[in-house]
Amino acid sequence: MEFDLSLEEAGFRDEVKAFLEAELTEEVRGGMFVDTPARVAFVDKLAAKGWLGMGFPEKYGGSKKPIALAQFILNVELELAHAPIVGKNVGVIANTIFHNGSEEMKDEFLPKVFKNECQWALSYTEPQAGTDLAALQCKCEDKGDHWLVNGTKRFITSAHFADYHWVAVRTDPDAQKHKGVSIIIMDADAEGLTYTPQWCVGSTGAERTNEVFYDNVKVPKNRLVGEINKGFIYLMQALDYERFAIISFAARVRRFNKVAEWVKEAEFGGKKLSDDPAIRSKFATLATRVEIGTMLEKMCICVAAERVPNTEAAMNKAWASTIGTEIANLALDAMGPYGYLWDGSEHAPLEGEMVDQYLMHGHSRVAAAGVDTSKTIIARRLLGLPDPLGKPFLPNQAK
Amino acid sequence: MDMKYTEEQKQLQDLARRYLEKECTIDFVRNLEKKDEEIGFSKEMWASFAEMGWLGLAIPEEHDGMGWGLVDQAILAMQMGRSICPSPYLSTAVIAAEAIVLGGTDDQKSELLEEIIGGEAVYAFCFQENTREFGPKTVALEAKADGDNYVINGSKMFVEFSKGADKLLVVTRTAGKVGEESGLTMFIMDSDTKGITHTHLPTMARDRQYEVKFENVTVPKSAVLGPVGDGWTILNKVVQKAAVIFSAYCAGTAEVMHEYALEFSKERVQFGRIIGQMQVIQQYLATCTIEIYGARTIVLYTAWHMDQGRDMLDYVAKTKAFTSHCVEHICDRGSQIFGGMGYIEETPTTLHLRRGKQYQLSMGGMAYWEDIVAEKMFGPVTA
Ligand SMILES: Cc1cc2nc3c(=O)[nH]c(=O)nc-3n(C[C@H](O)[C@H](O)[C@H](O)COP(=O)(O)OP(=O)(O)OC[C@H]3O[C@@H](n4cnc5c(N)ncnc54)[C@H](O)[C@@H]3O)c2cc1C
Repeated sequence: MEFDLSLEEAGFRDEVKAFLEAELTEEVRGGMFVDTPARVAFVDKLAAKGWLGMGFPEKYGGSKKPIALAQFILNVELELAHAPIVGKNVGVIANTIFHNGSEEMKDEFLPKVFKNECQWALSYTEPQAGTDLAALQCKCEDKGDHWLVNGTKRFITSAHFADYHWVAVRTDPDAQKHKGVSIIIMDADAEGLTYTPQWCVGSTGAERTNEVFYDNVKVPKNRLVGEINKGFIYLMQALDYERFAIISFAARVRRFNKVAEWVKEAEFGGKKLSDDPAIRSKFATLATRVEIGTMLEKMCICVAAERVPNTEAAMNKAWASTIGTEIANLALDAMGPYGYLWDGSEHAPLEGEMVDQYLMHGHSRVAAAGVDTSKTIIARRLLGLPDPLGKPFLPNQAK
Repeated sequence: MDMKYTEEQKQLQDLARRYLEKECTIDFVRNLEKKDEEIGFSKEMWASFAEMGWLGLAIPEEHDGMGWGLVDQAILAMQMGRSICPSPYLSTAVIAAEAIVLGGTDDQKSELLEEIIGGEAVYAFCFQENTREFGPKTVALEAKADGDNYVINGSKMFVEFSKGADKLLVVTRTAGKVGEESGLTMFIMDSDTKGITHTHLPTMARDRQYEVKFENVTVPKSAVLGPVGDGWTILNKVVQKAAVIFSAYCAGTAEVMHEYALEFSKERVQFGRIIGQMQVIQQYLATCTIEIYGARTIVLYTAWHMDQGRDMLDYVAKTKAFTSHCVEHICDRGSQIFGGMGYIEETPTTLHLRRGKQYQLSMGGMAYWEDIVAEKMFGPVTA
């Protein structure tokens, strides 16, 4: 048992911290996406450090992992500093291609990912296929010398600045629903690909996602990832990783500390807000719950040194997304009516950030396996309970 | 970073699990609960604890203990919590032992620690006063110097095992007034010292708690443990360790309750299927799972850091607050999963239901510890 970072781990963490101190400008800070020239330039510098391809072979543009936990330490520090995060490209795209893609695909895409030469949209969700992703219908037909894709996707974040779409498509309409899915890589400027914005609830700087239409989009044959009709397996593997790598708990810690700092300084009617016994008690309860999130993340990190955390990642995800809302909710409670003042009001505490958090954080409870789905994963995979929608189980049939 | 148990820790856990599952069964606990007059723990079991080295686990080797740490005690206490083992382990092997190690004179150490390690002296911890608050500031029990003696007058509440214990570790006030942290002095005395009376307090856990009255109890100055008037400097550390071990115990109880409920959910059939196939039951069980993993991790994390000699007050407070919540929540939710049977005395889990809430209210409840968390965040209340 060893809860401290080792000398090498702490050294790497300090190196990342120093890098962020030097390179993370105000212009870059504050968004998780690589969606502006300044943010692209920032991630270019991460790439130049060799921090995007850690653990991947050099021939694909990868670099030696300085330590087993490097990826996770990097993610946590990026989140703590409110920098754009890199989990999606490296974690989902590069990992899936590396483990399942053809040699040609690895040669083409891995170096680009590790050099930050491309941004990606994960194009899974459809109007009729959300949590039940395997119900997706986006049609992908084999036309001999190309694939032909037709369908509608929604909530596709990054589609408006991405270079490639990573699309979950149906390649076998007759197979069982999990068994007819594949993943293809589509150029964002392909003919027949259009999108319209779906603005997230929030203030003027709010996040954006997109509805995407594929209308007879032709995709080269070699852009199908791995084996045909194995796509759902790849998606599930990548989601285990995403629940943990993209959604680091550190962002919640940062936000909670920011709110606590605000409470500490706030005065209303000459009275310090932090003297209020109800405020003290509620913040103490939440501080404890935030700490538990940190613990669950540490647990995941330790597991990750040996294997991809799956049920542990689901615990981390479920707790993190619940706590995120609790933080924003309590922040607004503490602010009273000032809590509903928005961006633009000089009286809005923390520039109205917590309003946006309150309104939007719930999406983390539904996306990338939300709270309900994460708990289902725990119930099914860890506790051995049967599928609620499957055939009835009798005693001794469950594990 | 790495959370794995060492080989020795695994062995300790396995031995404890095997021993307690065999000896400390539900029937065994029920038997101890039955009669109010009895001491509430088993002397034979206590002797076995001594034999297995558990009572001296964290006592330094120079005093003939095993010299292990708080984290190892926590691993053991989780197993005790799983069996809701009624024993004065906390008050004796954690609180008294640590207080003596930190505050005892050489003579006290050589005499008293050996008795603890050998299982010859059982201690009860007389700290909590007749108030809903907890902590050094609440201590009112008066000890007055009188020649070579001290004379003690007043009372303590919620003292576990005080009647069956051989000795009492008594926290008194020798200076200052209630509301101050300083002025405290610890004493060690026999539990049947003249002038001490123990009145049983019926509790929902049916454990052995007493109101202890001190009427002109006269003890020699040699009964003092640690500095006169500055007892909190030592006791502070002791109480923090005790809180972590109590937390480990709570995590263990929560864990086993969850296992019972999970098992039941795979057996009980309604609507033609096991209830564990119903999504709402799955969600309850999954929520409890997350809390248990969180609780276990924070217990080990805090204990491990304390073993490195670090100030962890804030984490101790969070550990105690969270595990307290957890054990209450899981014992309550687990009982619900049992349906009507969850509320019939003969069902084993009613033992856990009766304990979950009581544990939450014990040792400072949530309030004392959450105050500490708040103070760390915001500083003391200024108004
Ligand atoms: C801001 C934002 C960004 C997003 N970005 C992307 C992206 O980049 N790419 C992408 O592909 N998708 C993206 N999504 C989509 C997201 O993954 C989906 O919203 C999510 O999968 C849920 O699907 P749904 O919205 O159709 O809800 P539904 O699946 O219809 O769910 C509705 C409710 O029912 C519950 N529910 C559904 N099934 C079950 C079940 N079996 N058991 C218990 N409860 C259940 C859900 O938890 C939820 O509360 C994004 C969404 C948002 C809001």
